[in-house]
Amino acid sequence: MHELGIVIKAVKNVEEFARENNVTKIETLVLQIGALASVIPRFVEECYPMAVKDTMLEDTKLKIEVLPANARCRACEKVFNVLEEKGVCPYCNNEKPEMISGNEFMIKEIIAC
Amino acid sequence: MSKYKIIEIKESVFEDNNRRADLLRGELEKEKTFLLNLMSSPGSGKTTTLVRTIDALKDEISIGIMEADIDSDVDAKTISKTGVKVIQLHTRGMCHLDAEMTRQGLQGLDTQGIDLAILENVGNLVCPAEFDTGASKNAMILSVPEGDDKPLKYPLMFSIVDVLLVNKIDAMDFFDFDLEAVKERVTKLNPKIKIIPISAKTGEGIDQWADWLRCEVKKWNEK
Ligand SMILES: Nc1nc2c(ncn2[C@@H]2O[C@H](COP(=O)(O)OP(=O)(O)OP(=O)(O)O)[C@@H](O)[C@H]2O)c(=O)[nH]1
Ligand SMILES: [Mg+2]
Ligand SMILES: [Zn+2]
Repeated sequence: MHELGIVIKAVKNVEEFARENNVTKIETLVLQIGALASVIPRFVEECYPMAVKDTMLEDTKLKIEVLPANARCRACEKVFNVLEEKGVCPYCNNEKPEMISGNEFMIKEIIAC
Repeated sequence: MSKYKIIEIKESVFEDNNRRADLLRGELEKEKTFLLNLMSSPGSGKTTTLVRTIDALKDEISIGIMEADIDSDVDAKTISKTGVKVIQLHTRGMCHLDAEMTRQGLQGLDTQGIDLAILENVGNLVCPAEFDTGASKNAMILSVPEGDDKPLKYPLMFSIVDVLLVNKIDAMDFFDFDLEAVKERVTKLNPKIKIIPISAKTGEGIDQWADWLRCEVKKWNEK
C-alpha cells in the first residue's frame, strides 16, 4: 500500500500551513482525490490514523471528495465524464478526448481555528 | 470555546513536492553537485552496484552516498568500507524520500566539494516513482530474479527513469528472463531510456554504466 507515504506528506503540508497561518486547532481535513488518481480513497481512510499519529492532526476527522474524471473532446470541445461515457464523446462520438481532471490529490481545506 | 471555520488551502500534494524538487535541482546545478537517485525493489542489488560504481569512479570523481532505509544502517556500513563519505537516512516508516527529505540528507552529507552524490532510495517500485527528489538524473535497477513482467506491473517507475540497469545477468540461465522482451516493454513506455545489462557480482557491464555516469556528471558540473 503506497497511500501511507502520500498521506504523511499531505499531513506535513497541512501542519506547515497551520504553523504559517497561526491555526491552533484542526477539527477536519478535507482532501480531494481524482477518480483516476493512483491514490485510492478507501486506503487513504484506512491509513489516516497512522499518518496523523503524533502530529497536530491526531484525532481529526477526514473527509474525502472524489473529483470526476472529466475530458474535453478534441473534435467538438465539449466536456464530458470519461468514466460514465467510457472514453467516447457523447455529443459527436469522437474517441480521443483530452483529460482535464481526475488525477488530483489535493488538500482542499481544513475546518479549524 | 473557540469557533471552527473553513480555511481553504487548495494545494496539490504532488505539485508542491515538484516545486521543491525543481528548486533543489537548481541549487545543485549552481553548486556543481550531480545527484543520482537510485531506485529498485528490495534486494535487487543497489548497494552491491554502488560499491562497484564507487570502485570504478572514486579516483577521478569525489563521491558522497546517502543510504535511505526504513530502519537500519547495514548498507551504510557496507559503503563506508569503500572509503567514500556516506550517511544513513532513516525514513521512519516512509516508503520513499521526497524533495524536502533529500535536501536534509544533502545537508547532512555536506555536498561542498562533492561532484557526485548518490541517493539509494528505499527499496520499493511504487512510491519513489511519484516523488521527484530533485535529482539530476534517475536510475533504477531491475534484477533478473524479479522477472521480466515488472515493466507491465509498475509502468510509472520505468517511464520516469533515465537509465535502467538490468542486474544479476550472471543468473540469467537459472531464471526464465527474457531480456529482449524487457527492452521492448520498457522502450514502449519510455523511448529515451538507456538500458544497461550488468552483473554487480562479476562486474560485467559496470564499465558501460560508469561511462554513462561519468559523462552525465561532467555535463552537469560544467554547465
Ligand atoms: N548473482 C548475483 N547476486 C547479486 C548481484 N548483485 C547483488 N547480488 C546479491 O543480491 C543480494 C542483495 O543485494 P543488495 O546490493 O544488498 O541489494 P539492495 O537493492 O541494496 O537491497 P536493499 O537495500 O535491501 O533494498 C545480495 O545477496 C547480493 O550479493 C548480481 O549481479 N548477481
Ligand atoms: Mg541496499
Ligand atoms: Zn465531441
